[in-house]
Amino acid sequence: MAVDYEKMIADLVRPLIINPDDLAVKQLSDDGQTITISIFVHEDDLGRVIGKNGRIANAIRTIAYASASRDHKKISINIESF
Amino acid sequence: MKQITFEARSLEEAMPVAVEAFRVNPTYITLDTIEKKSMLGLKRSYEVTARLNITPVDLGRQLLKEMLDTMGIHYELIVETQDEEISYSIDTDENPVLIGRNGKTLESIQFYLRTALQPFSEQRLIITVDIGGYRENRRRQLEILATKTAKEVARSRIEAALKPMNAYERRVIHTKLSEWRDVETVSVGEHPNRYLVIRPKS
Repeated sequence: MAVDYEKMIADLVRPLIINPDDLAVKQLSDDGQTITISIFVHEDDLGRVIGKNGRIANAIRTIAYASASRDHKKISINIESF
Repeated sequence: MKQITFEARSLEEAMPVAVEAFRVNPTYITLDTIEKKSMLGLKRSYEVTARLNITPVDLGRQLLKEMLDTMGIHYELIVETQDEEISYSIDTDENPVLIGRNGKTLESIQFYLRTALQPFSEQRLIITVDIGGYRENRRRQLEILATKTAKEVARSRIEAALKPMNAYERRVIHTKLSEWRDVETVSVGEHPNRYLVIRPKS
C-alpha cells in the first residue's frame, strides 16, 4: 500500500490556512520504519495548523499515524513557518 | 450563507479583503465584481460581492472523501443534518484503523473536521463523526459499566474509580447515574487522565 503522505497531509492542512500558496509538505526521509515529513506554512497560518495546546497538530499527527500503521510504519511530522 | 459587499479600487486588492473578512482559504471564496466608472471615466472602482462557495456539510464530505481516497480505503458515508448539527457516519473495511485505540483516531478526525468546518458557518456547528457504529456501541458499554459499578457501590458502600475517559464518555456515565438515589458521580484529575468516581451518597 503506497499512500501519498505528502498529498494526504497537504489536503488536511489546506482548508485550515488562508495563505495556501505558501504551503509546502515535504517528505524528508523514509528509512523503512519511520517516515519524516515537514509542513511549511506562512507564519500567519502557524497557529491555525497547530491550534490551542497543539490540538490540531496532534489530530493531524494521529490521523497520519493511523494511515502509516497500515504500512507498518511510523510517521513523524514537523510544522514550521517560512 | 456568508456574504459581504465592499468597494475596491482594483481587482487585485479584492481577494485579500474577502480572505481577511471570512478567515478562510481563498479557494472557497467566489467574487462577483461590477465595474463602476466615475463621471469622467478617469477613476475606476469595483463593487465586489464575496461569498463562500461551499457549505460546511459539503466541505466535510469533501475532506473525508479526500482523506479516505488517498489512504485507499473504500467507504460508505451517510450524512445527516439538522439545523446546526451535522453527523457523518462512515463505514469501511478497515474501521479499527480509523477508530484507533480507545477511539483516539476517531476523536482526532472529529476534532479536525470541527476545526475545519466552523469558519464556514456563522452559527456554532455541532459536528459528530462515527465509524462503524463505534460511538453507539461504546455508549451502550459505558451505560452497562455504569449500572454494574453503581450497584456494587450501593451494596458495598465503598467508592469505585473508573479508568480515565474523555469528556463525552464521562458525561454518558454522569447522565446515566444522575437519577440514582444511593450513588453519586464526580470527575477527578486533569485531562488526559481525568476519571470518574462513583461513590455512595451519604
